[in-house]
Amino acid sequence: MATKKTLKVVLIDLSGTLHVEDSAVPGAQEALNRLRQASVAVKFVTNTTKECKRNLLARLLSLNFDIKEHEIFTSLTAARSLVEQRQLRPLLLVEDSALEDFSGLEVSEPNAVVIGLSPDHLNYHRMNTAFRLLLDGAPLIAIHKARYYMRTDGLALGPGPFVTGLEYAAGCQASVVGKPQKTFFLEALRDIDCSPEEALMIGDDAKADIGGAQNTGMLGILVRTGKYRLGDEGQINPSPYLTCDSFPQAVDHIIQHLLIHN
Amino acid sequence: MRMRFPCATLAMAAPSWEDSVKSLKGVILDMCGVLYDAGEDGGIPIPGSVEAVKRLRASHLKLRFCTNETQSTREKFVAKLTKMGFDISVSEVFSPAPAAVAILKERGLRPHLLVHDDVVPEFDSVEKTNPNCVVIGDAAEKFSYQNLNAAFRVLIGLEKPVLFSLGRGKYYKEDDGLNLDVGVYMKALEYACEIEAEVIGKPAPMFFQKVLDDMGIPSHEALMIGDDLVNDVGGAKECGMMGVQVRTGKYRPSDEKHPTVTADGYVANLAVAVDTILKLGGQ
Repeated sequence: MATKKTLKVVLIDLSGTLHVEDSAVPGAQEALNRLRQASVAVKFVTNTTKECKRNLLARLLSLNFDIKEHEIFTSLTAARSLVEQRQLRPLLLVEDSALEDFSGLEVSEPNAVVIGLSPDHLNYHRMNTAFRLLLDGAPLIAIHKARYYMRTDGLALGPGPFVTGLEYAAGCQASVVGKPQKTFFLEALRDIDCSPEEALMIGDDAKADIGGAQNTGMLGILVRTGKYRLGDEGQINPSPYLTCDSFPQAVDHIIQHLLIHN
Repeated sequence: MRMRFPCATLAMAAPSWEDSVKSLKGVILDMCGVLYDAGEDGGIPIPGSVEAVKRLRASHLKLRFCTNETQSTREKFVAKLTKMGFDISVSEVFSPAPAAVAILKERGLRPHLLVHDDVVPEFDSVEKTNPNCVVIGDAAEKFSYQNLNAAFRVLIGLEKPVLFSLGRGKYYKEDDGLNLDVGVYMKALEYACEIEAEVIGKPAPMFFQKVLDDMGIPSHEALMIGDDLVNDVGGAKECGMMGVQVRTGKYRPSDEKHPTVTADGYVANLAVAVDTILKLGGQ
């Protein structure tokens, strides 16, 4: 006899899943409310390296999503957690707009390097400072390793090339904290008392969101919004637990099939 | 019929570099870190190096200099060394920029340059408009995000992206510590574009071969002395030369435990190396 799984938490990607730039995905706000009423915890997860939580929250609130700041978990948060756990003092090669998420950390006499997308900080002098720390044995923490991204004025280098260069220079390997790393997903669950098998991820990026989550033992629902392209579900193995049109349909499925109702 | 020999009979000690000195016909010297250290006023000669070069020159051995220096033209660079007291002429110095110019012309390539301002003149004779390749050198402060992005955009926009890297060193010694070298940014662009760079300069075999051809000797009769275990010593040994590492310049103790490159010898500095060469070579 089939029993319904006890789903305790739903992780929800932001850009491309709840909203696409400054427009909400149709029906998403209402779907989120229904999910909240179904008594399952929700967390919002994203790979941003440039925006602090406060900015992300402001955008989502302006689109009428019911979200609290403490429910947002970003790759910056993941980096901060790692730094705190290991009691490190980081040299932050991170955009000024994101520094806020590292406030309160001891940064004098750094013994670690945290690197994200930050054109202003990836100049020769700062890279050299980081390199000399790494040679001394400081760990290298990378927010993520994207090769490049699309800006309004064309393609632009991501943090990945600079991380690779420093790894080569110092003969070290970076700890990468963003999606699709297992550590990212496990860290997102840390303050909720549940195992990955009791969690589900909804996102538009087959490899980073769904592949990464399922690799941790969670279920993954791929939505056909945002960066989704036809056939993406075939790009990962195992394929997504479910692929559906958008966030509201994902919520429908969860409520009907995955939650125990009184 | 193939004979099989038990391993034991082949377990002879490899000849040390001192044993091979008698058959040496030529010596190739790396420059920064062997002759001098970077510092005020262009540089500070490493103790004993000026004299060592004089002694080599007075011997029967052919002498050449091989550098991955790309922060100035050869003329300016040699003038700097002459000022320090070294007896060197431009024709004896092999550096990546002239080698790159030759390759670019041979292959009809027009470079987007990301190199130190002072080495740009070496590329004066090369067409640079409408670039169809990128050349990176030791650009130091010019390795800004903006400049790297510009180089990246040239590459990513080409149907067949070609990246030349003048050397692939990880770091070099400056007066206040170690600084990132061109190899780091080569790796960055390789990762960004998913391509492999063509290296011009040490440790590329073609670069060493040009020096050997100029000396007119086979590789097994040549010895390279350098401070960079992988690019000087490793590169030379790949070509069949002997390679000795000096414990000056960018040398680090961990070099003597390197997983893949073992020098034929490790000596305190150039003066000691030349002492050994001339004593054992019967001079």
